[in-house]
Amino acid sequence: MSSERRERPPTSLFISRSYLSTESNKTGSWRFLRPRYEEKTAPCSVACPAGEDIGRIEMLTAEGRFHEAWETVLRENPFPGICGRVCYHPCEHVCNRGEFDEPVAVHILERFLADAAARFELKPSIERRTPRTEKIAVVGSGPSGLAAAYFLARLGYQAEVFETMPEPGGVLRWGIPPYRLPLSVLNQELTLIRELGVRIHCDREVSPESLGATGSGYDALVLGCGHSRSLDLKIPGENLKGVEDGLRFLGRIRRGETPALQGTVAVIGGGNTAMDVARSAARLGARSVVIYRRRRQDMPAFAEEVEMALAEGVEIHELETPVAIRRRGGRLGVTIQAMRVAGEDSRGRARVEPASGKTREMEVERLFLAVGATTVAEWQDPPPQGRGVLSLCNSLLVHEPGHPVLVFGGDLVAETKSVVHAVASGKEAAMALDRLFRDGLEAVRPGLQACLVGGGPSLSMEMYLNGPRSSRNHRIVQYDDLNTDHFRFAPRIVEPRLLRQERLRSFAEIVLRIGANVAIREAERCFNCGLCNDCDNCQLFCPDLAVICDRKAGSRSINYDYCKGCGLCVVECPRNAMVLEEEAPCARS
Amino acid sequence: MRKVIEGSHAVAEGARLARAQVISAYPITPQTHIVERLSEFCADGTLDARFLRVESEHSALAALIGAASTGVRTFTATSSQGLALMHELLHWASGARLPVVMANVNRALAPGWNIWADQTDSLAQRDTGWIQLYCEDSQEVLDTTLQAYRLAEWVYLPVMVILDAFFLSHTYEPVDIPDQESVDRFLPPFQPRFHLDPESPCTFGQMSPPGVYMEMRRSIQDAMEDALLAFADVEEEFSRVHGRRYGPVEAVHCDDARVILVTSGTVTSTSRQVIAELRARGEKVGLLKVKLFRPFPVESIRTALGRAQKVAVIDRNFSFGASGIFAQEIRAALCNLPGHPTVFGYVAGLGGRDVTTAIIEEIYIRTRDAEAPQGESLWVGLQEVKHAP
Repeated sequence: MSSERRERPPTSLFISRSYLSTESNKTGSWRFLRPRYEEKTAPCSVACPAGEDIGRIEMLTAEGRFHEAWETVLRENPFPGICGRVCYHPCEHVCNRGEFDEPVAVHILERFLADAAARFELKPSIERRTPRTEKIAVVGSGPSGLAAAYFLARLGYQAEVFETMPEPGGVLRWGIPPYRLPLSVLNQELTLIRELGVRIHCDREVSPESLGATGSGYDALVLGCGHSRSLDLKIPGENLKGVEDGLRFLGRIRRGETPALQGTVAVIGGGNTAMDVARSAARLGARSVVIYRRRRQDMPAFAEEVEMALAEGVEIHELETPVAIRRRGGRLGVTIQAMRVAGEDSRGRARVEPASGKTREMEVERLFLAVGATTVAEWQDPPPQGRGVLSLCNSLLVHEPGHPVLVFGGDLVAETKSVVHAVASGKEAAMALDRLFRDGLEAVRPGLQACLVGGGPSLSMEMYLNGPRSSRNHRIVQYDDLNTDHFRFAPRIVEPRLLRQERLRSFAEIVLRIGANVAIREAERCFNCGLCNDCDNCQLFCPDLAVICDRKAGSRSINYDYCKGCGLCVVECPRNAMVLEEEAPCARS
Repeated sequence: MRKVIEGSHAVAEGARLARAQVISAYPITPQTHIVERLSEFCADGTLDARFLRVESEHSALAALIGAASTGVRTFTATSSQGLALMHELLHWASGARLPVVMANVNRALAPGWNIWADQTDSLAQRDTGWIQLYCEDSQEVLDTTLQAYRLAEWVYLPVMVILDAFFLSHTYEPVDIPDQESVDRFLPPFQPRFHLDPESPCTFGQMSPPGVYMEMRRSIQDAMEDALLAFADVEEEFSRVHGRRYGPVEAVHCDDARVILVTSGTVTSTSRQVIAELRARGEKVGLLKVKLFRPFPVESIRTALGRAQKVAVIDRNFSFGASGIFAQEIRAALCNLPGHPTVFGYVAGLGGRDVTTAIIEEIYIRTRDAEAPQGESLWVGLQEVKHAP
């Protein structure tokens, strides 16, 4: 019965439908606002002294393109393995994700990329300029000297590095203990620099005179000799047996010496060297006590290093300073003067003075000095301002006609003494010399200005070489510029570390490796501020189908014939990689 | 399989068995349990559907209009304020002839804020071109949801399946949940007569000038008239597969009744008990349950009510300035029938107030004993209130 009923004629269905194209109606003429693709600058890349393109590095990492991600680091920094370990990662402190949940663990990912490259024996293919004739000598093979040589080689120059020590690396080799930076990592990244054609001469004591006298006619000298002579305390007894220079102590450990320590060991100072000496002494069996004349928050050591030291049982005595050292049997008697805060300096550090009458005696087995270091020779000190002296963001250039150009870099000029600042100065030195040799002294400043990341002072070599990064707007993406509706909360990766007890048993690296899946997950947390990651939200949300995507080329464009300028694409771009501008009244398409 | 389930979940089971492909909804009490359950079905893979979370009921229906244009089966559920917010798009869905199925849980409109049963929300949408089916119990809710798809896809009109807040939506009853195989036999995949196809692009709903608009409207009315016949066919097939049928109206003891009560929704169940007791006392009373409200089954109603002397319509709704809405419709259906019964309108149970057996009996007694109606609607059980000065 029902089958008969179904034979009834179909229901009346008269609807409005048209197969005529509406393309004749160019609705783009209604537009008074114009969206445009425009990549901007991520705050992390500005905070990174090396100006690394972090947003892009994480984008590539999230896509599993580890080789390209690693090369993207190498464009701006020859030391991803080193900086991934020892950098104090200012990038993470400004990460916009920090306002959402927690910052992206940039340093862990950087190290992951370097470790992956080493493991798979990857070789980078990064743009190099055609060779030039100028020869440049680099004095010192620490991070600034090596970075200068690396970037000079990429710019086509012959760079030769001279090192007084028997092996290259400077502070990376002699000043940072293996539990923070294993030697294999340093050697790996040294190999990459050597493979660019950089020659490193070790055991070579050099000076401007000796280099000039070689007759090979260097056109420029980059001075990256660092601060390797420790400062004295200028107190009685500091030359007694049992009192040792902290830097020298760290150097001995690098050479493989493991002097057994016992009892209490005092470390004087509050910098990263002091922390490393104290932590090394703890590993050798001592009870480490750091004595620092200001407050803990005034320490020049990076906060994370201080926290790790405390976790390893290092004690910190703040507002104290030794005033005399005596032999007392086989031990050292130290007179400690209590200090008191007498105001703060312009940077918020405590100004201290002795608290009168408050001293105490302390007995220690050994005492290490780590109160700072300076240059070993006067010619390494940068000259004061004057004719031919160009003070740049991260280096200082001296141009005297008839003499090789001098560029002072690294700790010689740096306000913050860190590996990544040294890299920044080496990069700046290379760019400044290139600009100088090509276009003269006047071109140096504007040449560098053009490749500042955001407002600077970080510099980008990719921008210097007119790479794709040059087209970005310098505007720094703020948290409010992002559309966080398109992101999900995800906890930051926890850095895997050796247990505290295990750390104290050896100099084995504390921070452990992470797997590729974990790295991808962490990299996916990156907002890629200001960068297009091909999410195609613009196309998805465009009510006029005016966003044209070329999937093969991975590019997209706006068909202004039909774009009404509603701005949805700009609003729905999670990463602020678009901009909406008022149309010029007479220039409508 | 027979299970004790909540009325809301009976709706959800219906949408699941119908293999809805796109579901979009915005939560609102007392509807939320329906889409909550469906979202669970989507999440655990029981139902292969896209569940679109949206920011309002307006967007929920807009999303389904887009989805239904591509020829897929769609579902949403709402209530009260949510339905009111959809108003513009209710017209759009029917005008575009899209077979969207929606469950509406009858809830009172604010202010004052009230989440309880009241039919005014859906009855206020009677002119939007949607087929409306009012349900009495959870089994009927599930069955009607399945029938709704068959009907919608037959006549290309959207269908609203309507159930009372709490009395039905939140009450647990034993329900026979059919197996998927038998539902698939009753409700095969939708083969749309038109759909949005990127391979053959076209514009839907473009400018329709006076020369064609009237014919489009007439086409909707033709489809509505067709829906009356189609509903009978759908029920016929449904009963062949599942053994149950409800009818556009259900007449109980109407043949010899002098007074017939007209009800819809859950008031019907209570009324069944009342008339059984009255009948046992020798009262010539009948009951007409109206399930299909749009299209309004005028002929069935005339047949059922035509021989009675009096008709008492119980409305859990009200059209301000006029009367209870079912009463209006019943009067309109009967007025051209020679010697038609007198229609008494009663308003009861607004905003979730109980319509008890005592109230229904009172309505019967009043109708039986009255010469003529005292007005268009008599409000039953009103209390003295203190008015604002």
